[in-house]
Amino acid sequence: MNKNPLFKIALTHLFSKKRQTIVAMLGVTFGIAIFIFQAGLMSGFQDFFIQETVNTTANIRIYNEAEKNRASILDKMNPDPHHWNAVQNQKPKDEKTKIKNGYQIISVLEKDPRVAGVSPFLGSQAIFKVGISQIAGRVSGVDIIKENILFDVAKNMRQGDITKLETIPNGIILGDGLADLLGAKLNDNISVVSPLGVNLDMKIVGINHSGLTDVDKSRAYINIRNAQKLLQVDGEYVTDINIKLKDFERSEELAKLYHTKFGFRTIDWKEANASVFSVFKIQNMVTYLIIVSILVVSGFGIFNILMMIIYEKMPDIAILKAIGYKDRDIKIIFLTESLVIGICGGLLGLLVGFLMQKIVGGIRMDIKGFVSMEYLHFNSTPAFYLFAFVFGLITTAVAGYLPARKAAKVDAIDIIRSK
Amino acid sequence: MSTTSIIKTKDLNKSFHDPVEFQALKNINVQINQGEFVSIVGSSGSGKSTLLYVLSTLDTDYTGHIYFDGDDLSLKTKNELAEIRNEKIGFVFQFHYLLPEFTVLENVCLPANKLAKFSEEEIKERAYKKLDLLGLRDQALKKANKLSGGQQQRVAIARALINDPKIIFGDEPTGNLDSKNSQNVFEIFKELKEQFNQSIVVVTHDMNFANKTDRIITLSDGEVV
Repeated sequence: MNKNPLFKIALTHLFSKKRQTIVAMLGVTFGIAIFIFQAGLMSGFQDFFIQETVNTTANIRIYNEAEKNRASILDKMNPDPHHWNAVQNQKPKDEKTKIKNGYQIISVLEKDPRVAGVSPFLGSQAIFKVGISQIAGRVSGVDIIKENILFDVAKNMRQGDITKLETIPNGIILGDGLADLLGAKLNDNISVVSPLGVNLDMKIVGINHSGLTDVDKSRAYINIRNAQKLLQVDGEYVTDINIKLKDFERSEELAKLYHTKFGFRTIDWKEANASVFSVFKIQNMVTYLIIVSILVVSGFGIFNILMMIIYEKMPDIAILKAIGYKDRDIKIIFLTESLVIGICGGLLGLLVGFLMQKIVGGIRMDIKGFVSMEYLHFNSTPAFYLFAFVFGLITTAVAGYLPARKAAKVDAIDIIRSK
Repeated sequence: MSTTSIIKTKDLNKSFHDPVEFQALKNINVQINQGEFVSIVGSSGSGKSTLLYVLSTLDTDYTGHIYFDGDDLSLKTKNELAEIRNEKIGFVFQFHYLLPEFTVLENVCLPANKLAKFSEEEIKERAYKKLDLLGLRDQALKKANKLSGGQQQRVAIARALINDPKIIFGDEPTGNLDSKNSQNVFEIFKELKEQFNQSIVVVTHDMNFANKTDRIITLSDGEVV
């Protein structure tokens, strides 16, 4: 016999209402399984995306920006606010977005112990032509060896070899989307036309797939010297310097430091992708809202079944109180019932959630959209399982508390009198 | 036979406020002695059950004083009263109130489990002794709802006895039983009184039953007559 009859009484109650108990349990199971599945999916996707962006966005980018809304010469001459200056149709100054002394800055940065790699960059819009098909896109003029340290370009090569960009004087690496659009294949020749009208005939030495669909549809890597030719600028001309840090979490701090040190604008990867992160925030909020509402609904299920049990078991409650069981004991009985439902339903939910992740994660999806991935990525960190379980238990405890309190308040005489 | 009082009331009054003001008990001064078998009788609505609930600590909404085993009950908290009921009071109601899914043995053990004065083995042993006394040993492992009405009421008596209470309260304990089983229950009470000097207070409307007890307290309109 059980030394603690409260637990046995609680189990007896649950067994006397098997079907409803199972339904209430499945409510918790469902809530927790969805929690784990959904949270894992969201966070897995976001982690994947962040990883992809960290791989394709420089930790820190140093660049120069044309001055907009600059003060007119008249304003500079007459700064007195009581004067009224009018200059119309002022155009941006024809100043270049060149980073002055770019290569010196690079060599300074390369000696910085916090920096893992530095890569010069000269970007331009361009039109790619193969026969009559023309696609507008961007060329990235890079030092491919340095670029590879930053962005692991070699890993993403579908065809060809990155070093050919160095060895073949007019080599070009196309994004796979762009190559598809052009109908061009490895070793084909294409023309690249710059906004200045400079035309270079280039040979495709590689096809690249970064995973970010938009990028793959528009970008081509060329050697930075060819980019300088396209833009008709000198061999020192770079528009951006990309930096990879040893610890990318320090990006924000060091971006500020380099800004004060070199005087050019700097932007870290988080700032550069701020819009994406705000989308994530909303996504997370919606996800958790849905999860919470599912658990609340399962809480109602528990509340329901406990109330049913209480009404049915009034005589039991009355006699327990008459023979000396305290209000607290009665409360414990019904809280135990809700926790048994919560724990059993919860554990099952953890298992179901885990299996759902495994099954769905094993299905080949070939998603092409914002990012392209073959399989869904799940974040199955134990923290989610723990959090889901604890949260499930809290819901059950809250849902069980109200009926338990009601049961504890039952007046034994009322029941005994009415029999 | 000793004459120590188990229960003594002083100017006990009780009123119901709902739905209308109604005084159920008026200046009750009674005393129940150790080893006495007392019956409380009266027409329905005379307040006899109400008196029993008040005396047995289930109902705390009264004025005046009840001295139980020397303690003034009006000074006790709800939890202390529960402890008193658990240790010193046994209940037998008109309805048996056994937990239907539990075995006879488990039902009998319930108050002892709460008291937790004895080990599990001892509790079991004591429960078997009480069941022996009531001729139910062979039913011990059956589910309570598999027994006949008379048997169930006897199990309820065994449950009342498990903690060796100072007093047993019966609220129409034979009300649902046929005459044979009623007689049986009476014999059990009588034997408890004679063999173990057990104090017993029973509310009944069965004058046949009441006439055989040591003393009859008659209530009429909330007053002792």
